[in-house]
Amino acid sequence: MIRNYIKTAFRSLRKNKGFTAINILGLALGLATCLLIVLYVVDELSYDRYNTKINRIYRVNEDLKLGGNNVLYAVCMPPLAKTLKAEYPYVENAVRLKNAGTSHVKKGNFNISENRIAFADPSLFDVFTLPMINGNPASALVEPNSVVITETTAKKYFNSTNVVGKTLLLNDNTLCKVTGVIKDISKQSHFNFDFFISMASFPDSRSNEWLRSDYNTYVLLKDPSDAKKLEASFPELLKKFSGAQMQAQLNMSIDAFEKSGSFFRMNLTPLTDIHLHSNRSGELGPNGTTQYVYIFSAIAIFILLIACVNFMNLSTARSSNRAREVGVRKVLGSPRKYLIAQFLTESILVTLIATVIAFFVAALLLPLFNHLADKDIVITAQSLVWIVPSLLFIVVFIGSLSGSYPAFYLSAFQPIDVLKGKLAAGFKGGRLRSFLVVFQFSISIFLIIGTLVIYNQLNYIQTKNLGYNRNQVLIVQNIFELNNQAKIFKQEVKGLPGVVNTTMTGFLPTSNWKNTAIYFPDASRDQKRSMFPQNWEIDEDYISTLDMKMVSGRSFSRDMATDSDGIVINEAAAKFLGFKDPVNKTIYKSLGGNHTADNVKQYHILGVVKDFNFSSLRQNVSPVVMRLAENNGALSIRVNTTNLPALLSQIKDKWKSISPNVQIDYSFMDQEFDASYRTEQRTGQIFIVFTSLAILIACLGLFGLAAYAAEQRTKEIGIRKVLGANVSAIVGMLSKDFIKLVFISILIASPLAWFFMNKWFLQDFAYRINIQWWVLVLAGVAALFIAFITVSFQSIKAAIANPVDSLKNE
Amino acid sequence: MIKITNLEKFYRTEEVETIALNKLSIEIATGEFVAIMGPSGCGKSTLLNILGMLDDPDAGSYVFNEIEVAHFTERKRADLRKHNIGFVFQSFNLIDELTVFENVELPLIYTGVPSSERVKRVEEVLDKMQIMHRRNHYPQQLSGGQQQRVAIARAVVNKPKLILADEPTGNLDSSNGNDVMELLTDLNEQGTTIIMVTHSEHDARYSHRIIRLLDGQSVMENIMV
Repeated sequence: MIRNYIKTAFRSLRKNKGFTAINILGLALGLATCLLIVLYVVDELSYDRYNTKINRIYRVNEDLKLGGNNVLYAVCMPPLAKTLKAEYPYVENAVRLKNAGTSHVKKGNFNISENRIAFADPSLFDVFTLPMINGNPASALVEPNSVVITETTAKKYFNSTNVVGKTLLLNDNTLCKVTGVIKDISKQSHFNFDFFISMASFPDSRSNEWLRSDYNTYVLLKDPSDAKKLEASFPELLKKFSGAQMQAQLNMSIDAFEKSGSFFRMNLTPLTDIHLHSNRSGELGPNGTTQYVYIFSAIAIFILLIACVNFMNLSTARSSNRAREVGVRKVLGSPRKYLIAQFLTESILVTLIATVIAFFVAALLLPLFNHLADKDIVITAQSLVWIVPSLLFIVVFIGSLSGSYPAFYLSAFQPIDVLKGKLAAGFKGGRLRSFLVVFQFSISIFLIIGTLVIYNQLNYIQTKNLGYNRNQVLIVQNIFELNNQAKIFKQEVKGLPGVVNTTMTGFLPTSNWKNTAIYFPDASRDQKRSMFPQNWEIDEDYISTLDMKMVSGRSFSRDMATDSDGIVINEAAAKFLGFKDPVNKTIYKSLGGNHTADNVKQYHILGVVKDFNFSSLRQNVSPVVMRLAENNGALSIRVNTTNLPALLSQIKDKWKSISPNVQIDYSFMDQEFDASYRTEQRTGQIFIVFTSLAILIACLGLFGLAAYAAEQRTKEIGIRKVLGANVSAIVGMLSKDFIKLVFISILIASPLAWFFMNKWFLQDFAYRINIQWWVLVLAGVAALFIAFITVSFQSIKAAIANPVDSLKNE
Repeated sequence: MIKITNLEKFYRTEEVETIALNKLSIEIATGEFVAIMGPSGCGKSTLLNILGMLDDPDAGSYVFNEIEVAHFTERKRADLRKHNIGFVFQSFNLIDELTVFENVELPLIYTGVPSSERVKRVEEVLDKMQIMHRRNHYPQQLSGGQQQRVAIARAVVNKPKLILADEPTGNLDSSNGNDVMELLTDLNEQGTTIIMVTHSEHDARYSHRIIRLLDGQSVMENIMV
């Protein structure tokens, strides 16, 4: 019997090649897209899963509230790790990681700039699962100046992985012995380093300070259920160890500190939550957000729904053509269940074909998608373990769902009605079909609006006045390589034709250099009124080079000897401090250490600079205090030239003459800025692709429906033409029904899209656009236009046909 | 074999009620070949549908093989139908997706005949209808006369006691039409009861008896000699 179903199904599909193709194509496209998104989501959800002890690993965080400042840290105090291990028997192990920033590693005569370097405790390989190919994981990071490198790094420097015992020269002054080679770290890791240098090489790691936070600290618990116990014990731990130091430095106990409304707390983040749920200060790398996981999952479901709706619509539309067959079968004695089984077989067969195609299409498009989404997803035997059963489930589920309507609806007909052709009128009354078309187009319009909103916001970010000018600024990094020659380099570059101005500091609005300090508005140093601003070191040329605007007062000047006691603050800082006229007021900076008169420095405010965005536009501008001090992190060069390559080569020559062994490392400020919004840009691109696909699939369905409607009304069209109707009247008549549905979709989708884009996407930006009315109108017009083109293709074809042929058909 | 008494059937639309059958009483004996004639709209097809248990009457009695079936459920009617009645339609109503063989095999599948038995019986009947050589063709590949032979083959493969034919020659030319009528006559001679609706006086002459309907009532019966 099954064979009979499959045979009939195959022949029926073959007979209606057009419909079958549209059905399979639409469904395959939808499934392929869906599969790609599922791979993406699974990838996002499986970060850090390579760790075999993942369920027992937690990161210790610190939450600090000091006066009006609130900071969430992913880092903790230097002595915390060893203390946790010593004090709590259920802490099996603890490890610290510290990002070591950029260093130069010598290869032959050249220094290569490396920025994936971390200091790590010896316990690293006990806590995290980083399989070692060569070396002894237990002792690799014990000795000072030992380094463990990844396989790729080993090959890069030594062309071999068998390199234990060899040495690497760092920054021309530190010789490190390679004590281990590990497998490359999975891309699905919240940290990704190429070099792990033993913590013992870093003297600061032995600090006993309990009031600073700069070490990423992880604990391995004996049992995951101990996490609550550990968290509960943190307040006591802080009292014991931080208490004395706080008394000395802030002149108050932790209790008094908490009573004043400030706090100083620690908590745990499970390793599983770091990638998607943690966005703290001091993370080891950029993490993902659940927001995109949700948005993409929603899109995947939408696209799958659109594809299913297509399938259902086309099957039901066509089903009235099948009615005669049903009638004959019933007259010949077919029980209803046979007919149901037959229709279900057919739709499951179509789904199966579509799914197989979808799988290969997805596999084929995966590299492209990886490029688009900046992922490294591969389909492995392991992933097939869940992909294949889910695909089979989809085949059965979608196949049955889509086939259920024709199966149950048609098979219930009385054969006599079917044979008399009473079903032919069924199409016009297809209320379910209308509903489904509205559903599809609502989703499509929603996605169009979503795409427009994302692009508008990105455009807004690109064009917003940020309070500084990022165009035409060349940044030469790592000026510290030039040692005491840095200032000479700056002077020489400044003298080059085409260079407008230069400023030397690593603290740039687009850079990751961040430093904070505690300032007080008066000498009492009441921590309740303390300010916790960005504390930047700049030179006299900073404000002018970056085109920042002074709101009041002045910037630093070479002519004023006392400017080293002055500061420039931004508007946010002025507002925070609460000064009506901040210029010439004095503020006090805590120098750390004990709460004595020597441990504070007075600064007088020289001027207020207009707020400029230095972190993401997702956040409001926070207070910034800028001091005059030498900082040789980078040299920013404002250029004004039509021949940039020539200027660049001159700058490179100057660098080479000072430091022939270190390669110059430069970038452009506008590119650095763009890089920080790459996630948004990527999301925008992915959104466009998915939206186009969704619309394409919806249109495929509409195309099929229009073809069917035209076919059903062939006789009516013929009669109308014989009676004198012209082509445009008939096209209008045929298109009207569909266009009406698209109109309804616009009415449904616009408010929903407006609401959800505000809530899901824009809310994340402190600086954001309002969704303009024209966005909604544009999306609606676009949908109408696309729908009209799709439908009219069929309508015109039907309208220009010779009426004699269509009438003879009867 | 068939006895209908005071059979009534109405068709209602929103505004009008049409009487298709008006207290019609007919009796047909086993082995008869009966033609039903009458102008368009006289109720011929309605009667045939009721006799074929595709439709049920609004009033009156229908006794088939001593069983009152007028108010049978669809399921019971279907069961009785598939074992006892074969249908031949004017438009053949073959399933396009199935081959000649498969079309003829269909009623046997639905009555649960085992596969090997089915092959034997289908081949037997195809042979008898002289379309054995076309067994693997699809209906579209056949001429109208051949299609109707397949339809008749399908109607008789289950060895029904009654064949209902609705204008079996309506879509055929006269030569093919005559062949079909010969086939029906042969079947009748082998014992199958045949009731045929037709417009054609020529075809009606093959029958034993002509029942003429007008406005849902039997107005005349001719006994053929």
